[in-house]
Amino acid sequence: MMMLQHGSTQLLCLTASSGVPLFTRGASKQLPFSVIGSLNGVHMFGGGQEVVLSSCETEGGGRVVWRVFQDSVMLIAVSGGGQGSGGGQGGAGGSKEEEVRLQRLLENVWSCMVLVLGQDELTNVRNVERLKRDLRSCFSLIDQLLEDRQEGILGNLTHCADSLLPPNPTLLQEAVDGFAQASDSEFGCLIVHGRIAAATEKWWRLAPQEVVLLSALMRSLSASGSASCDYPVFLPQGSPTVAHRLLRFQLLPGADVCVLCGPTPSLHRAESGIVGRFWTPLVETLRDCLAVGERCLPPSVSLRPDVLALLLINRETRRSVSCVRTLTNHPLGDPPLPSKARCWELLKLFYIFSTTRYFTQEEALCVSPEEKAQRGNTEDFVLGFSHQPLQCYLVTEECKSYGLQTPQHQLFLLIPLSVPTFALRTVATQTLSDIVAAPGF
Amino acid sequence: MTQVPPSSGSIVVADWHRCKDSKEYFSKILHKKRRKNFGLLESPVMPPHVAVDTVHYKIFISGKSGVGKTALAARLAGLNIPNMHYETTGIETTVVYWPAKLRENGRVFFFRLQLWDCGENALRRFDHLLPACKEQVDAVLFLFSFTDRTSFDDLSTQMAKWTGTPAGRVVKLVVGTKFDLFMHCDVAERDVRDFQEKWSLPVLRVGGEVSDGLGDVAPLLNCLAENLWHQDCVTAESARHHSQQDTGTLL
Repeated sequence: MMMLQHGSTQLLCLTASSGVPLFTRGASKQLPFSVIGSLNGVHMFGGGQEVVLSSCETEGGGRVVWRVFQDSVMLIAVSGGGQGSGGGQGGAGGSKEEEVRLQRLLENVWSCMVLVLGQDELTNVRNVERLKRDLRSCFSLIDQLLEDRQEGILGNLTHCADSLLPPNPTLLQEAVDGFAQASDSEFGCLIVHGRIAAATEKWWRLAPQEVVLLSALMRSLSASGSASCDYPVFLPQGSPTVAHRLLRFQLLPGADVCVLCGPTPSLHRAESGIVGRFWTPLVETLRDCLAVGERCLPPSVSLRPDVLALLLINRETRRSVSCVRTLTNHPLGDPPLPSKARCWELLKLFYIFSTTRYFTQEEALCVSPEEKAQRGNTEDFVLGFSHQPLQCYLVTEECKSYGLQTPQHQLFLLIPLSVPTFALRTVATQTLSDIVAAPGF
Repeated sequence: MTQVPPSSGSIVVADWHRCKDSKEYFSKILHKKRRKNFGLLESPVMPPHVAVDTVHYKIFISGKSGVGKTALAARLAGLNIPNMHYETTGIETTVVYWPAKLRENGRVFFFRLQLWDCGENALRRFDHLLPACKEQVDAVLFLFSFTDRTSFDDLSTQMAKWTGTPAGRVVKLVVGTKFDLFMHCDVAERDVRDFQEKWSLPVLRVGGEVSDGLGDVAPLLNCLAENLWHQDCVTAESARHHSQQDTGTLL
């Protein structure tokens, strides 16, 4: 059965108990109502037989993933297949990767529904019509998750905060700390080009998926170009039933600071009294930070010329830096390098490939152990071993990929085909030490 | 107290953006022929010998859900107008810098207009948002959509929320959005005229293609600047009057 066009994903939301459709997003052509009904029906049938249906593949290469949240809302993601799985990547573009992507999507969508509406409204449904209307407030974020368009943002997948290492971290750190304190808050964060450049210690103690979700919200607010915001937000883990206020200020286009706070200060007072005091002296520092751009690394870190793209995760702090570089194809006869957009895609696929097959995936905390066993992203193959693979590589028609893990870091690299395979390990270990040594990531 | 609005062009030079002498001022709010987006730490900078004062105002955008509050703010600031309608789930403010020349003495000011926009559903769900929007507000734009009759009928309810506010005087303007979609027009020109007479408030119209970035927003921004300036003058006048009375009693 070919349900959707290749590459498109549709999201369905229904009440878990009665299967009343709450909303559908994504894909230009909606699935017919009968199909939606069947998808719900087959899951319900499984439930009757004490079987949880979580994922299935269709003959046309499509995927369906189901998940029920808090016994109240059922989310179903349907993909037409083909997303990101260009023929070239061979192993790393298959159905397993698609399943992981869709499962992440469902988790993220649920979190963003809680973020906007709070858990109570979603679990104690008194009036379905009202819930339907209120759910519209989540569409902006949900569509952003579905489109997943911004290049270089991998946090939705990795649940590690996309970060940018500023050239002058101490000054920015002091300013964020001071600014948060003056705003009666312990949670403050500076976001540059959609990535966290500095944050208070407490910000890093939020659940990793909350950090990622708040970053996504900040990105969408920042993209609108508005000057400041006062948004009520629920924290899916930390405060699912009581709303906090997210105050956000656009310091310079592309550089936003935010705090999570209680009833005070008012947006007006924070903006007129506090923002200027802490940030006006740092305009030039912020500009330097903006100049780092999508490279995410300060100029002091130089990368080997044969690194095409990289994703580095700090497993303790749950932060990541990533970049794709424009290398020039020079030696004639070499196969052409993949485009920038394709490199981002390949990096995501290689991340899923490595974390499902070889490396452990630090799962989001929201997943209970039983659920984890049910969903089983890590193959039995890995679980059957007493030891952990430390490195892995993959050679495809488009590029070579190398993964490396230490107790503290995970590094994923894309390297041009022209580099001999035996040199990959050296490229990887050297890249890791280059980045880790400099700014203490 | 009802305040008679100044007639258009009586205080601020209308269409000043078309005049030659305005060029050096407007160039400061433009970048590569598009409007410049200023962060909170930035403002238009004039050369030192041309000192221009900036006057700050807070403006609240009121109107039924889906009427185009966020789109209006984006249009006035020259930002990308969202092509999909999404609810605004909290307060979002947008800053517009607009140079205007006073007719009376030829002085130029930068008006820093901060537009406060908050989704109707968010206002309903969270009690603290409306008071935050009302705090020290200088003007309210009441929006209705030409394609949605109920939004026009809803205007009096919206405006009732603002009558008898103790927070001093507030400039009130009415803006009809989506004026370009005349095929779907749901509000007759006569109704607008009647409304205008009844409330003696200016009604402005916006909609359609964003052209050169200045021409389509100039009438609204000039009208807003004019009314805000007029209100300040009236307030200052009455304050002076009061203080003179005070000194009188003291003597």
